[in-house]
Amino acid sequence: MTDASVITLISLGVTALFMLGVPVFLVIAAWVVGCSAVLGLTLDNMGAELLNVFNKGFALLAMPLFILTGDLINKSGIARRLSDFAYACLGWLRGGLAMASLGACGLFAAISGSNSATTATIGSMLHPEMVKGGYDERFSAATAAAGGTVGIIIPPSIIFIVYGFLLNLPISDLFVAGILPGALMVIGMQLACWIVCQLNGWGHLIQFQFNRALKTAFGAWLGFFAIGLVLWGIYTGKFSPTEAAGVTVGFCIIAGLVSWGVNKIAGLDMTKSWEEKSYPEMLVVEGFTLKDIPGITMRSAQITGVLAPLIAISVVMQQILSLLGAQVFITDFLTGLGGYYPVLFAAMAIVFISGMVLESLPVTIILAPILAPVAAGIGVDPIHFSVIFLVGASIGFITPPYGLNLYVASGVTGVAYFRLLKYTVPYLIALISVWIVVALVPEISLTMLPAR
Amino acid sequence: MSLFSELLVIIKSVLAQDPWALKSALRSDASWLLGFFVAFGGGGAIAFLYKRLPVLDKYLERLFMVCSYLSIALIIFWGVIDRFVFSNQQPWSTTIPPLLFMIMAWFGATYNVRLRAHLSFSEFRSRMGRTGQFACLCLDNALWMGFAIIVIVTTFKAVVLSASNFQIVLGTDNVMQWWFLATAPLAFILMAARVIENFTEDYSNFRNDRPLLKQTVIGGDA
Repeated sequence: MTDASVITLISLGVTALFMLGVPVFLVIAAWVVGCSAVLGLTLDNMGAELLNVFNKGFALLAMPLFILTGDLINKSGIARRLSDFAYACLGWLRGGLAMASLGACGLFAAISGSNSATTATIGSMLHPEMVKGGYDERFSAATAAAGGTVGIIIPPSIIFIVYGFLLNLPISDLFVAGILPGALMVIGMQLACWIVCQLNGWGHLIQFQFNRALKTAFGAWLGFFAIGLVLWGIYTGKFSPTEAAGVTVGFCIIAGLVSWGVNKIAGLDMTKSWEEKSYPEMLVVEGFTLKDIPGITMRSAQITGVLAPLIAISVVMQQILSLLGAQVFITDFLTGLGGYYPVLFAAMAIVFISGMVLESLPVTIILAPILAPVAAGIGVDPIHFSVIFLVGASIGFITPPYGLNLYVASGVTGVAYFRLLKYTVPYLIALISVWIVVALVPEISLTMLPAR
Repeated sequence: MSLFSELLVIIKSVLAQDPWALKSALRSDASWLLGFFVAFGGGGAIAFLYKRLPVLDKYLERLFMVCSYLSIALIIFWGVIDRFVFSNQQPWSTTIPPLLFMIMAWFGATYNVRLRAHLSFSEFRSRMGRTGQFACLCLDNALWMGFAIIVIVTTFKAVVLSASNFQIVLGTDNVMQWWFLATAPLAFILMAARVIENFTEDYSNFRNDRPLLKQTVIGGDA
């Protein structure tokens, strides 16, 4: 039997393992070990790489820190304030609460950088209110899942960090390039949401009140400050993305501790809703104590403990794929198509199909180093292609069979995975439309970049 | 040389604390045998300890994870303050955090094995019968154990290589890299312990007609 046949058998075997529910990490690890044995490669390389991946650069450190930021803003009550503001602005429209939850996802994503954290936080916070507000529970869960996709496009973004780390691109440029496409994704999904709610008559309308919007905006000042801090630091070059993440973590810890202290000293009732609070009371959030910090950190560490090993093993898989000539094969296939648009759309199709069956991190680690040089070869700007690639990868979060956000939304809302699939279709159509627009109009990604 | 005599050479090199001799000794196939014994013996002993001392069961990995996570955040946050306010920067402030990240990642992976929180496509598994589910859980445990053995051996070799080359953490004068790297094989020995714990739990659940698959909770307890 030739090596190629054995490797095909190994690939089929690990696909069977995946379908049997074996963790994705082990599926990739089994493939790596199997292929190493066939190719006669020493496993020592894998062991060394599992240690060295984390040591290769400072940039990857932004990932755990932005995950921690997400948990800190959730626990401190800043995320709640941002969603109150989004509802005050959009509640007057049909489907306003659902649109507000998409807007809140966008705002949350602008401080955190994780899709699953965005879905979990906004889903657990707004799903009960959406169901109470007359929305179908399956649609509500699908909205949380879809909203989470912007978590990795609106900066800061964990996958942009990984992409920049792999391809040696400036992460700050990638972050800036993601701003407008991320905003477009939110608007596109809100439009789809509005149409669905109009057709089904879902949601209760509230009157738009300027005072309500103003008060909730005032109450969300800590969130806006954190967003401003991240964007200002990265955009002006004052900090690297990793430092921006560290500063945001520090800011959120200080904001949480000070808020809790102020609430305690002033005897403020932390259970009151924003309507019952005065403007000075809105200056602080619920906050947390020093004792809460290990618990919050533990939650983030657990998420990092899922994602970071997946990055490490995917890097090893990518190296073996290179040795197998996958890069050359895909490059030949794509360049054989000829022309700018056929190559671009074929690359997008590869990302989309891979996103359906694999988690987005492995998709990025395995495919980005293969597709990015091909795209550069036909004249696509590397930063523009990163946005095209990652918008496609983010859509993978809500495409079955393996849509991570669908699992997270199902977990936090209690709606079964297969029941919410149908309700993601309008969002999928909206996201794919935005994806095509982003691919065809490079200016959307590149216009905000500093002079290059 | 027979496998067992090669194993003796490795053990002698470990006891002699001679990284050069150990590096050569680890080239033999006996290193895999050693990895097997360490994973099952060490892992089994730790699993027993977890049963006797529930506080270790609950907090051992957590301690590593939380301490390394908060240290990363503190070092980077302070690095920015130090630069902007005091016009100063510690040279190790960008080299130690990645090593702490590595520690957090592998202890996190171990803890997630216990919680079964690693990402997976579990739709078909959840629809299987009890025997099928138990077989799948055994498959998971076998694969985790196999992987743990491979990583214990290969990362231990990398640690010995680092020690034998006197690799120092950049930006420091006397902090050795292997002090940090040595936590990786340790994390995988703890992983082996978690796999043994999971297997005994699955077997007990299977025998006693208790549910085999549970909803994973991020932020939950071991």
